[in-house]
Amino acid sequence: MANRKERQRFERLMMGHLDGAYNLALWLVREPAEAEDIVQTAYMRAFEHFHTFTGGNAAGWIMTIVRNTAYNWLNKQKRNSNLISFDEVLHSHEPDNRKQLTPEEAVSINARSSQLMEQMERLPVEFREALFLREIEGYSYKEIAEITQVPKGTVMSRLSRGRGQLQNLLLEQQKRRQQNGM
Amino acid sequence: MVCNEIQQNIEAYLDGELTLSDRRDFEEHLGNCNNCQLRLEAVRKLNTSIKKIGYSSRPSGLKRNIRAGLLDLSGEDSPGFNWSQLLGFSGASALFAGVGVWLVMGVMINSPLQLAHTDELISAHVRSLMVDHMTDIASSDRHTVKPWFNGKLDFSPNVVDFKDHGYPLVGGRLDYLKGRPTAALIYKRRAHVINLFVRKADTPAQITTMQLIQHQGYQLLNWQERGLTYTLVSDLNSKELQAFANKLQP
Repeated sequence: MANRKERQRFERLMMGHLDGAYNLALWLVREPAEAEDIVQTAYMRAFEHFHTFTGGNAAGWIMTIVRNTAYNWLNKQKRNSNLISFDEVLHSHEPDNRKQLTPEEAVSINARSSQLMEQMERLPVEFREALFLREIEGYSYKEIAEITQVPKGTVMSRLSRGRGQLQNLLLEQQKRRQQNGM
Repeated sequence: MVCNEIQQNIEAYLDGELTLSDRRDFEEHLGNCNNCQLRLEAVRKLNTSIKKIGYSSRPSGLKRNIRAGLLDLSGEDSPGFNWSQLLGFSGASALFAGVGVWLVMGVMINSPLQLAHTDELISAHVRSLMVDHMTDIASSDRHTVKPWFNGKLDFSPNVVDFKDHGYPLVGGRLDYLKGRPTAALIYKRRAHVINLFVRKADTPAQITTMQLIQHQGYQLLNWQERGLTYTLVSDLNSKELQAFANKLQP
């Protein structure tokens, strides 16, 4: 019963990463029903291509398939219009048009998880992805580069710009709250 | 003192990505640079806040659905399908309310004959996804779509728009399945395309049996009613497809 053994091996290696896979999809597409669909699709696709998994990092392998499936969906949706406009090819050599915060401003930021997530959703999807893989999953730059299929330098730049933009957004939010006396 | 330390270095230090010697150099600089201490503290605070977001809990049925899909893909003998589990919140009671017309039984059939036909239906669905093959008559108006089938079929499919329920009608198409002219009604659920195939039944059935078949990542729901065979095909999850099937029943 080769099929059965193969399926059992797949489940043993991949089912343990379901929480990470679902949350990655959720961070990327931001809608639970879609994230569920994407993970289901990704796992089916992964099983169909399981013969290409040559051992090693199972989590990284399944995460790559999940994020590729999520990006396919995002591309189809063309719903990036409500995100901060982002074209890495065009803008990668320009400084972010937001100002660099002073160290005093940056350190004054206090954000609760709900406030943070609200601002996180305004980041370009590639920045959110890098931050998720780094801070929630704890992957190294090299591992993130492999999963997202970009050079390590791009990972560093996405993390740094993501954090910088988050700090900007959070500070603006904090100032608005203070003005409203909240 | 002048500080030329770049932000990425501060972050790489916190991310544990500096080489040992770079790390030593950075720490030495950090001891003398108030600016960098503040910047480092700010990033550390941000990272901690992000970590605190943590995981959202995943949908309860996800693991079960994936298991079912894997079983199907691996071609093993599947266990009987549990309809009450599938229907769950989507309203088993609503479905069974119409039990006079509907007797619902759950089975997953993997007989070669069944699979051959399943492949044909999936192929028809996939063909329809190719550019410009989806509809012969593109209209969300059922009064336009229904008459369009007149003269093309020896039966008249019931055409209803379920836009208000999140399943808008996109159009209609004429297909040939198992050598029979078949009405294909195209609906959408978000970005998912749903094909509803309606054709004359091979044998008029007194008892209506609904079947769910999962194959190659697609879901098929199949039933007979008043001498017609209905099949829904989509890559939509089975729960929502089932909910749609419930709406289609008169």
